[in-house]
This record gives sequence, structure tokens and C-alpha cells, in this order.
Amino acid sequence: MASTLHKTITTVGLIFIFHAAYSAAQHRSYLRITDQEFTSLPVDIVVQGILSLFLTMYGVMYIAGDFKEIRATEELQSKTWETQRNLPSFYCFNHRGKLLRPHFHQ
Amino acid sequence: MHWTEARDLVRKWREDNVRKSSELIEIWENSLKDKVHKLGDEQYQVLEQVCVGALDCHRIDVAEYCLKKLMAQFKDSSRILLLNAMELEAIEMYDDAIELLDALIKRDATNPAPRKRKIAILRSQGKTVEAIKELTVYLKRFAIDQEAWQELSDLYLSEQEYGKASFCMEELILHNPHNHLFHERLAEIKYTQGGFDNLEQARAYYCQALKLNRNNMRALFGLYLTAYSIATSQKCVSAKKKEAHNLMSFAMKRISQR
Repeated sequence: MASTLHKTITTVGLIFIFHAAYSAAQHRSYLRITDQEFTSLPVDIVVQGILSLFLTMYGVMYIAGDFKEIRATEELQSKTWETQRNLPSFYCFNHRGKLLRPHFHQ
Repeated sequence: MHWTEARDLVRKWREDNVRKSSELIEIWENSLKDKVHKLGDEQYQVLEQVCVGALDCHRIDVAEYCLKKLMAQFKDSSRILLLNAMELEAIEMYDDAIELLDALIKRDATNPAPRKRKIAILRSQGKTVEAIKELTVYLKRFAIDQEAWQELSDLYLSEQEYGKASFCMEELILHNPHNHLFHERLAEIKYTQGGFDNLEQARAYYCQALKLNRNNMRALFGLYLTAYSIATSQKCVSAKKKEAHNLMSFAMKRISQR
């Protein structure tokens, strides 16, 4: 299910996100040292951040497991009346099991 | 069978609510019994499950063994005491079981499980009418208990009170509008009840069951039989007769495709 490819994609994406964050911090400290006013982040950092976010999202979708069917009836399709009618809290023990007991495997 | 396989199978049965007691006991004795400590916290759930299964097969020795293990871990837990009451029930010591259950109800009046067991005892004693009476009282307090509605419907069916049984089924459909099995069941009750209006309703519910699950074979057969009865009924007007014939051929086609 979660192939190595998707795991690698996720890891690379996460590393890129951290790199983008680190670059942003570096940019702020550079501005502070050179006494410039902060207006906006450089385009390359913004683009890197957004692209790596999508990359991580793509990888995580494959790792997180299978999707569940959105239609509510889908899950009940395989249910049978055999299991639906079985009510554990109303079990009666007063039945043929007692008499058939010697014939069970022991 | 390896114990991990056994664990997975038993877990599947527990989650899917399957009553395969004799198979469960066989698996327990052959592969799980000696490895139960390896299951971690799941072992207590397995022990509880095996205990109930053992009572179902009247294997009191196995039940005793599980109960002892559970008792050692959870002293004085109401869930374990409930199992204890079930064991008393299985060996037909009903008065002692009821005494224990009454004590449990007194301890926690909001716990539905012992109340349900008391009704089950009435049922296993064959006192269906009393069981119905108790269950209606119970449902006044715990109106969202779906199992209880289903049990009540069952009890009414055994007394041939089809109208009341179908009311319980309608209640269950309100709780689970997407479950095809309840629609099918209500249609079956209506069909059994007979009469033209009931047949019309049965037809509608069978159709709804098929809409929710197109592979429901029982509903297909039911729809065929209902449409047949409608078509041959004397009260049926010709427009409806044609519709019933259409339904019959639809159901037949689907059945033969399988």
C-alpha cells in the first residue's frame, strides 16, 4: 500500500518545507542585520513552501491508508441477516447446545 | 492454526457480531488457550467472548476458567459480575441469577445490560408475555436501544402480533435508514400479515431494500412473491396489475442473472 516511492516523496516534501521555513528565518535575520524594513518574503521561498506542501500532501494521501466509501449504504452491503439478528445482550442459553454438547469436538 | 491467525479470526467474529460458539471454543482450546497472555490488553476481550461462547455450548468448565482469569484481573467489576450471572443462567439457577442482576441494577441504575439479561431470563423460561411487558417498560427508559427494539420485534413475532412487530421494525428503520436488512424484514412482516394494503407496503419496502443493496437475493424473491400476490388479488385495478407484472419480470430477470 504505502510504497517506498510515496514514503520518499513525503520525506522529501517535509525536508523542503523545513528548508523553506529555515530560509524565511534566515531572510528575516538578514533584514534585521542590514536594517531594512520587512515587506514580503522573496518569491522563491514562497514558491518552494507551497510546492513542497503539495508534494507532502500527495505523499501522505498514499501512506495514510485506503479511502473509505462515502456512500453510507456501501458498508452495509456485505452484512447479512445472520449477523444482524444476532443480539449478544439477549442471548438465551436454554437451547439445544446443552444436549448436543457431547457431540461437539472436545 | 497459528495463534496470530486465531486472534485475527476471533477479533473479526467479535467485531462482526458472529455467533459461532462451537467453532470459537475449538479455536480456543487448540490454539489460543496457551497463548492468551501474548495478546496484551485484548486478552480480556477474548476471554469475555470465549466465556459467553462456552456458556452457549454449555462448556461450563471453559467458562469457569475464563471467569476465574477475568476475576483475578478485575475484581468486583459489573461487567464480570454480569458474566457470572450469565453462568448461573446457563446452569438454570435463575433465581440466583436474578438476585445478582437486581444487585447490579441497584448499584448502577443507568446500566442497561443487567436489565436486558433479566428479560433474556424471562425468555429462556418461556415467559414470552412477561418478557414483552418488561421489555416495553425497559424501552420507555432506554428508547434508543436498537438491540432491544429488535428483540421486541422478535418476541412479538413469536406471539404473532405482526402489527406491533412491524412498529418495532419501523422504529429500527428510523434509527438506521440505510440498512437494507431492516427494510427487508419489515417487508417480510407486512407480507406475512397479508391483505391488500399490507402487500402494497411490503412491495414498497422490498423495493427500498433493493435500492439500498441491489444484490439482496431474499428481497428479490420477496418482491417477486409480493408482486405475484398483488397481481392475482381481486382488489387490484388493472393499472396496478400491469405495474405488478413489470415488477415480477424485473425481479425474475435479476434472480436469473445471478
